[in-house]
Amino acid sequence: MDLIRHLRLFVVVAEELHFGNAAARLGMAQPPLSQRVKRLEEELGVRLFDRSSRQVRLTEAGRLLLTEARDLVARADRVRELMARAGGDGAAGLRIGVPPDLGGTAVAALLAALREADPPLRPALTEMCTADQVRALADGELDGGVIRHPAGAAGLTYGPMLVQHPGVLLPADDPLAEFSSVHLADLATRPLVLLPRESEPGLHEETLTDCRRHGYVPGEVHPAAHPQFTLGLVMSGTAVAFGPRAEQPGVVWRPLLGDPLAWRVSAAWRRPGPAVEEFGAVAVRVLRENAGMIDDGAARARRIAHRPASGLLA
Amino acid sequence: MRRPDLAAVFRAAAVTGVVHAVDLDTGAEVGVGSDEPVVLSSVFKLPLLVEFYRQAEAGLLDPAERCEVAAEGRTEGPTGLAAMRDAASLSLRDLAFLMITVSDNAAADVLAARVGLDAVNGMLAAFGLTRTWVEHDCRGLLAALAADLGDAAAPLDPRTLGRLRVLDPARTNRSTPREMTRLLGMVWRDEAAGPESCAAIRRLLGLQVWPHRLASGFPYDDVVVSGKTGSLPTIRNEVGVVEYPDGGRYAVAVFTRSIGTAQHQPRADASIGTVARAAVDHLRAS
Repeated sequence: MDLIRHLRLFVVVAEELHFGNAAARLGMAQPPLSQRVKRLEEELGVRLFDRSSRQVRLTEAGRLLLTEARDLVARADRVRELMARAGGDGAAGLRIGVPPDLGGTAVAALLAALREADPPLRPALTEMCTADQVRALADGELDGGVIRHPAGAAGLTYGPMLVQHPGVLLPADDPLAEFSSVHLADLATRPLVLLPRESEPGLHEETLTDCRRHGYVPGEVHPAAHPQFTLGLVMSGTAVAFGPRAEQPGVVWRPLLGDPLAWRVSAAWRRPGPAVEEFGAVAVRVLRENAGMIDDGAARARRIAHRPASGLLA
Repeated sequence: MRRPDLAAVFRAAAVTGVVHAVDLDTGAEVGVGSDEPVVLSSVFKLPLLVEFYRQAEAGLLDPAERCEVAAEGRTEGPTGLAAMRDAASLSLRDLAFLMITVSDNAAADVLAARVGLDAVNGMLAAFGLTRTWVEHDCRGLLAALAADLGDAAAPLDPRTLGRLRVLDPARTNRSTPREMTRLLGMVWRDEAAGPESCAAIRRLLGLQVWPHRLASGFPYDDVVVSGKTGSLPTIRNEVGVVEYPDGGRYAVAVFTRSIGTAQHQPRADASIGTVARAAVDHLRAS
């Protein structure tokens, strides 16, 4: 028997709890619907509906099956959808999310590498923040994504973790621009532009925590999702920002002493499959080569040097 | 990066100064007046400490040996045993701890008597530090100052500075910025003595209490600053090593003279840290 087809009917009956209404919704006559539900009950060896009263009720087994059946039906739909989107060459389109600040070079390299894969993938890239990607992956609206950590998402599979140690973007006339590198503590209480908490909750929290730990307590935190907006705030002397090296008049980029910030990124997907795993491998390569990211070895343990003048009970 | 204007840092703090900084691993260096003769003041306690540990290694003295310091007759000073009133019994190495961490003059002179200044000068010559010389211990230095000053309690008159022997490198404990960074490099590379002795010396320099000079330029939890200060009327010095979280190690020697004679000049103290930070930053950028 076609289990999926039978389950699809069962789900509708379970939702309506009325064979007549369910048949109407399915656009079929009621007797064949009742027969098919009976067949399913025989196949599974349980009673799914309690038909003794005037009202149809789910049995305990029926309630258990409903959750599973919905999942199976949804996945079967997804398989059809994938196959429907598969082109004449048999390669499925791959819906990928990438962070808005990934950079043009990395986006282009990712697309090119996915198209050159064997068999070729037909990627559709969408710019999307981590929070939205996590939701879209869970809802099956995305096949894979490039997300920032900590992502705090259950049920996702991650590719290898890559890390980027951002430097600091300063207004050109900031006295700290005199130095070749800057310590987080030097930033004192300067206002900071940072990716918004709503879109990058993990990165936002972790960055602020690391700043405080190193002696930088921003007087204000301005959320900014777009790199150009961020640059504008820095250029105008409104705030400083963290990020990869940038060449821009009115802004100087300096490395942070001791690489105190580690922005971690990985590919992520929910349903394993050859296409999405190929994407995972390609994404790692592209991020390494085009987005200045390095393999995330063991995080360097930070050594605190105690000084008598500021030590305990000094 | 263009070369930092180190002299401007001194000017802004109303001092004249010389500085030498060197990357202990690459030999890259930067300085202003690196080979000028300078007054060491209490910085002489650093070579004394090194010779103390060398003699311990040679079996000439036992660092754990207990030493009685009587209430009477100890060298004067504002810190440590020099400022305490009663007899004390400490090991030689704990006297060394006081000599370095709070620049205790009484502890320094007990060790100077034990080690011998001739031996310290012999070690310096053997190291090739030919322009570094220890002329007197703390008592001798204070005696020369008192003899030249007359009334030591009176406020210092800028016109009398010229006749103070302890401010003239030719007539007191002396060195050059470059020779001091060389000595520090030998300590950090385990060349001045055996590895255990050098580690003991580094530990004491790291426990120095003063936050206002070299350390003020590096107010970071993950940067290690070790050093030894020296102070006299108008003189503010510190030599030390700065260690960065990425493993970079830099020896820095800064010697300043203030134009004013006021004792309390936080900007002059802080200029030592500021100039050291600029010099180290330049070494890291080149």
